[in-house]
Amino acid sequence: MEATEFVLPSMWMGIAVVIILFAIFYYVGWLAAKKTTSEEDLYAAGFAIGPVTNGLAMGATWASLATFMGVIALIYKLQAPFVYLWIQWALSIPLLTLLYGTCLRRMKAFTPASFIKVRYGNEAAIVIIVWMCLSMVMYALGQMIGLGMAFEVLFGLPYKYALVIVGIATIGFITMGGMYGASYNAAFQMVVMILAMVVPMSAIMKAMGSSGWWFPPLAYGDMVPGMLKQIPEFFDMKYDYRWYFALIPAFTMGPIALPHLAMRVFTSSSIKSARWSVVWFILFLGLLFSGAYTAGFAGNFFTAQTGHEIAKPDQTILILNVFYNPAIVAAFVVGGAIAAGMSTINGNLMAIAGLVGGDLLGILAPKMPGAKKMRWGYLALGIAGIVTILLAFSPPPFLVTSILWAFGLLATAVSPSILLGVWWKQANKIAMIISSAACGIVYIIISPHVLSNIVVGKGLVAALGMSGAMVTVPLSFASFIILSFVFNKMQMAAPSLEDKKMIDRIHGWGIDYDEARYNGVAMPFVLVILSAIVFYWGMQPW
Amino acid sequence: MKEQLYKKELRITVLFVVILMIFGHFAQIFKLFPSLQGGSMWGFPVHYIVPILMGWFGLLILAIIMAVVLNKFDDDMDAYTSSLEDKNSGDTV
Repeated sequence: MEATEFVLPSMWMGIAVVIILFAIFYYVGWLAAKKTTSEEDLYAAGFAIGPVTNGLAMGATWASLATFMGVIALIYKLQAPFVYLWIQWALSIPLLTLLYGTCLRRMKAFTPASFIKVRYGNEAAIVIIVWMCLSMVMYALGQMIGLGMAFEVLFGLPYKYALVIVGIATIGFITMGGMYGASYNAAFQMVVMILAMVVPMSAIMKAMGSSGWWFPPLAYGDMVPGMLKQIPEFFDMKYDYRWYFALIPAFTMGPIALPHLAMRVFTSSSIKSARWSVVWFILFLGLLFSGAYTAGFAGNFFTAQTGHEIAKPDQTILILNVFYNPAIVAAFVVGGAIAAGMSTINGNLMAIAGLVGGDLLGILAPKMPGAKKMRWGYLALGIAGIVTILLAFSPPPFLVTSILWAFGLLATAVSPSILLGVWWKQANKIAMIISSAACGIVYIIISPHVLSNIVVGKGLVAALGMSGAMVTVPLSFASFIILSFVFNKMQMAAPSLEDKKMIDRIHGWGIDYDEARYNGVAMPFVLVILSAIVFYWGMQPW
Repeated sequence: MKEQLYKKELRITVLFVVILMIFGHFAQIFKLFPSLQGGSMWGFPVHYIVPILMGWFGLLILAIIMAVVLNKFDDDMDAYTSSLEDKNSGDTV
């Protein structure tokens, strides 16, 4: 079987597309810079983004370069089960908004760590900021690697030079525009991504002989018999039930705590607007994701039909476009991939800036003037970008791996702190710090990336953090709850009346305080029982 | 009134979380009940296309319902807290 790699037929076309895109990004950044006069503008776009723009921006921030490259590669390798993994990402922002987004928007938080600081205190906030920054760097790393690879194939540059050029260019416009720039650029980037994913797929499907070219995301059913003839196992629900269940602790619980997604909810012009943003988010994200499933399907179909094996599965969508579409279309698709990577890096770096410049500085130097804090925020943004570029010099073999693994870390170390903090008045500061730090470290230890002889699970489930999260997420919830009861009983850092009043306030009760509200034992008891069952299940051999 | 609002908040939150999880993880239904895997829809095996549809249009419809129901709940909550504030200010006059 012949191995095929992506080579853009005309380098100048690629350069033209990239220059046009960057010119737009910088122009939007420059316009946004003029509107950024306060910390609220820098980190939350003045709490003024409307639902459609925010829905687009949410989609762009969430759908990373992995949607264009990594996911298609993994569908190519793992086939239908990976589609199931990807579908559930759409739950991220709806769950986040429902469970705590609107509550934190009500208190005008810049990041989830702002809430942690008020709810549990400075020490707890520092623990959460460290975990969030670590996961944001991991996340941005995946995007930066992908952007470097895109520029490498686009311009024929050595990877390291491509990485430095695209990295510095990206950091430039993000630093310039703050959250206003990130929001409007992300909305524009989502439009580019959807067009680049869906429209060229239509021509590809027509060339492949599919009558469903009029709507690529859902109308490729007539290609199924041909696919099954060549790859009979494509639709098989491989793996046991536990594999499918493990998606919940590893990949549904983690993104709930992603600060860059939460910050998109916080930028909404109102709580009601945030909920309508979720509707637009699902509409746009579904269109993009379904296009990606089509591309993964078409990649397999392409190999089966033409005998060309795709040498680098990360490049599937690019190869399909070079093979079936004119060079200008292929260049535009590369532009779409670049937009996908940039929109997510936008969010990642803004989150780091908010965490360091807003939350951490608020702890370390509470009396620092706002203007000075803003300068530190910009500096944090730039430094985080440079660190990401440096880390991207040695990329992992699969683009998606580093990102997905970080989700399990967040699900373990951060999600319980936020969720229990919002919904349970007895959540104790010391219990939070211990369970977050200890379970986060356990998650890192039992992954195959650190100590290869201490691993829960094996193969891809271990590498992606699925088997690890199945153990550490329930452990984190259960230990947090049990330790909270213990420490509260011992009168150690028990939540104060002011902490409890704050919980009522963020749920919308205003001045009406009721001690019994969000203060039951049934919910935490059920959670501990469920956690024990999941933990036991996760500890069984994989 | 406030007791009803509190119970309603918990009830709708739990309900929406459960439905979101079912829609977003619909493939699990086909794994739990393999006999459902037999059919086809629009040319696809149902266990492939139905989870995709539920993860897109299913969630979309649910998000619309969530926006309407939760925004209405916020209005009820605002009305309750406003009435309390009015009462408090009346008491102090």
